[in-house]
Amino acid sequence: METWRLVDVEYRDNPFMNLAVEEAIPRVVGEGKSPSTVRFWHNSNTIVIGCFQSARLEVNMEACKETKTEIVRRFTGGGAVYHDNGNLNYAISLRKGHPLVPGQNLQSVFEKLSEGSIQGLRKLGVKAEFQPVNDIHVDGKKVSGAAGSIRWNTIFHHGCILVNSDLSILGKVLNVPRVKLEDRHVASVQKRVTTVRDELGRDVSTREVRDAIVDGIESCYGVGVEPGVLTKEELGLAEELYQTKYSRLEWNLEP
Amino acid sequence: MGFELKTELLHSISATKLERLRFADYKAPGGKLVRVRLREEQGVIRSIKITGDFFLIPEDSLGKLEKMLEDVPLREAELRLLIDRFFRGTGAQGLGVSSDDFVKAILAAEV
Repeated sequence: METWRLVDVEYRDNPFMNLAVEEAIPRVVGEGKSPSTVRFWHNSNTIVIGCFQSARLEVNMEACKETKTEIVRRFTGGGAVYHDNGNLNYAISLRKGHPLVPGQNLQSVFEKLSEGSIQGLRKLGVKAEFQPVNDIHVDGKKVSGAAGSIRWNTIFHHGCILVNSDLSILGKVLNVPRVKLEDRHVASVQKRVTTVRDELGRDVSTREVRDAIVDGIESCYGVGVEPGVLTKEELGLAEELYQTKYSRLEWNLEP
Repeated sequence: MGFELKTELLHSISATKLERLRFADYKAPGGKLVRVRLREEQGVIRSIKITGDFFLIPEDSLGKLEKMLEDVPLREAELRLLIDRFFRGTGAQGLGVSSDDFVKAILAAEV
């Protein structure tokens, strides 16, 4: 049975460093110097935009200032998401050619590597289902979104799960273009998302969801998940990526 | 000096007369958004920026596509040929967006 490394390395008040770590891990996993890894982490108030998005178009800058929300760009595609401490982020890095995702198809990466989270959420009693292209829904509402890539010789998949986030801020800081909402017959982004707390009707911590997802990953993929730490190389690379990329306005806000 | 001023004036007049900025927010089947901002001069794309919430790997191939689209006529046949060639040539993989969606998004761009 394969053992995956579990890391809880996070910088809640430094989303730029969080994203630097997010890139450092798959790069080193792809070199064969680190094992298959799952990471869990949080950001305080932050909008994370996809690598192809325009910050100016997607984000309400004024509302970000008012709510002290940071803006950071990730290295994967997909849409903007709002993170706060009630949102749980997870990331899976597997070396390319891993038997779980043998192909090179990004859609099958999302489907396969969302399964662990879906199973975890179901164990908690949330009726979670994969919704193509890259979401997890409960009764038609989005509770989690994923993004990913195949690069650096790595299959990389990450996602965020709304556990008990403040959805009122989410509605303010993200500009959702009218054309996006038209088909869904809802007036706002806030009405088409839900949280684990709302679905269960009780208080639930991100730690409880994290533990359920670890169980989900183990049972779903037939692997063992054991706590570990980042290597010196990963930490050094994260620091370098922080300095040269993620702490820079030109990466985060342009175009 | 007078001559330079006149030349500058001519440039600014020709720029305002011939160049147009065009924009589109195009929703691909499946819901992903392709946002196009382009500078057009007499029916030819001079520069283009494509943004959105789609997936495309390798990620740096989008910049290559934007570069390839420079000086290309804003016509369906030419765009389709070039964008198909981009996907074939680079082996890029789109998810939530296809070659056809890029063509449609660019053609949807309005002043």
